[in-house]
Amino acid sequence: MKVAGAIGLLMISLAENGFAGEDERWFTGMESLPCLPQRAVEMILSNFGMPEWMVSMAGFFVAAFTVVAVFAGGFALLSLVERKTLARIQNRLGPNRVGWFGILQPVADGIKMLTKEDIVPAKAEKLLHLLAPILIVVPAILALGVLPLGREWVPVHMELGLLFFFSVGALTELSVFMAGWASGSKFPMLGAMRAISQMVSYELPLMISALGVIMVSGTLSLPEIVDKQGGFLLGFIPAWNLFTPWGIFAGLIFYVASLAEANRCPFDLPEGESEIVAGHMTEYSGFKYALFFMGEYLGLFAIAGLGVTLFLGGWQAPLPGLGFVPSWIWFFGKLAVIIMTFLWIRGTFPRVRIDQLMRFAWLCLIPMALLTIPAAAIWVFTGKGLLSWVIIIPLMLIPWVIMTLIFNRRLAPATRTYTFADS
Amino acid sequence: MIPLLILSPLIVLAALGAVWKARPVHAALLLALALSLTAVLYLTIGADFIGLVQFMVYVGAVAVLIVFSLLITRPSDEAEEIARRPRSLATGLFCTLPVLGVLMFSLIKGSPTATAENNAEDVIALPISKIGEVLFTSHAPAVLAVAVLLTAVMIGAALFARDTEKSQQPPSDPS
Repeated sequence: MKVAGAIGLLMISLAENGFAGEDERWFTGMESLPCLPQRAVEMILSNFGMPEWMVSMAGFFVAAFTVVAVFAGGFALLSLVERKTLARIQNRLGPNRVGWFGILQPVADGIKMLTKEDIVPAKAEKLLHLLAPILIVVPAILALGVLPLGREWVPVHMELGLLFFFSVGALTELSVFMAGWASGSKFPMLGAMRAISQMVSYELPLMISALGVIMVSGTLSLPEIVDKQGGFLLGFIPAWNLFTPWGIFAGLIFYVASLAEANRCPFDLPEGESEIVAGHMTEYSGFKYALFFMGEYLGLFAIAGLGVTLFLGGWQAPLPGLGFVPSWIWFFGKLAVIIMTFLWIRGTFPRVRIDQLMRFAWLCLIPMALLTIPAAAIWVFTGKGLLSWVIIIPLMLIPWVIMTLIFNRRLAPATRTYTFADS
Repeated sequence: MIPLLILSPLIVLAALGAVWKARPVHAALLLALALSLTAVLYLTIGADFIGLVQFMVYVGAVAVLIVFSLLITRPSDEAEEIARRPRSLATGLFCTLPVLGVLMFSLIKGSPTATAENNAEDVIALPISKIGEVLFTSHAPAVLAVAVLLTAVMIGAALFARDTEKSQQPPSDPS
């Protein structure tokens, strides 16, 4: 106990640098707790008289390690929480044997995955088959690196963070293709085709709905976008982008598109288990399969974290007077809420068909996302007040309603009749 | 200088592989590798914006497009591909040597924008907003021309898709 207390005191005293103007020492310590390993390593190395570039390089390594550790832990936790939540929605118990209420289930799963046989099909391209699961995890981790996870906790501070996020996301499509093609079998090929076409189609509304945020904040740097969302309207409504007339619509579109981009239900066609086995991962087993899942969940964290950063104010507190809570708690709290809604949707909605999926992206989401751009421009030029609400709400709602009516009446696919089920 | 020395042989090797590989999928993936290494080269010389856009457009769009079209078409015969190689090599050299000559000429002669007055730090410190301003004021005609070209290409592609759709019967619904 004493040792733990001493380490805690040491950590708090180490964490003091970089913080001024706040009285509560405990909370300032909590605030920069996640950055602590990086700061400590930098401090130790510079005390030993290392050159500047080596110190900052080591700091970056430690920061990267922190991010990977936190989100890999989150992946383990989420895999359990998802199974438990889905089980409760379906009136089951879920994992409940390993550990206390099944809390050690991720560990058991990990051991199972590691000890499984690693099968490479005879028809497979060996090198590409090996590279694909690795290359699917890399972009997810890279994308997580630019998100501002707390006031002091931005792993890599990039001026072009948002652009970086989207451009590393492009690598996912190539690695899905590699997985599908290198397996040398039909199911992975079909799955990869579905996955790539879905990703390409839903990347468009995702980026277009993020454009409004860029226009209003005037920057591509994610920490600055979060800074611009600080403060409160009327004393209690947080000045997040979601609570602006264009932001509601852009946020909704972003949410739906991110569901598809993360391959979540109702858009989980790439690995629709009942249709094409497991899509591009069919021919993988053992740890490579686990890596695919890890890439998927890290991508989910990244895309939900980007949504939180762009529309939900990142690490900003939701109510005034709550600023004393460490900012990263708010970020992860919002992330948890978003991911819980993802799970809720997975437990509620059936999967859509592939033609419905494409139709929805190209005929509904992209036009609606394009409309948020003029709406954001109006919001900036009419002074962000009541007048802009009066102009923008009809501008957005009328096309939205017309589009929905047309979509429902004319463009909706003909209702299918199932000969064997009906008779 | 060091990143250039490390990256440029890799880029050249990947590009040669992209031309030389008999399997179209390998060629496409090596092309993607060459393009992404070029993006890394841009990043190392401080042109972050260009580098990221290069990655997004060429790896995220062009390479994915090529790869996707490979997925939905039937693979050609590899032996035939290799037998055809000497003739296509000659055609390729005929097409690429003049381009190479022009590029080398302008490199040696030096373009008017790369004079000594524009030292490297000015170029690196160029903010994105400045790039946008220049693109949409003094270079607006070029941007407009590219936009018109892309629109024409899209309309053409739509027309092509229409024609093939008409000639083929849509698969009947098994209901």
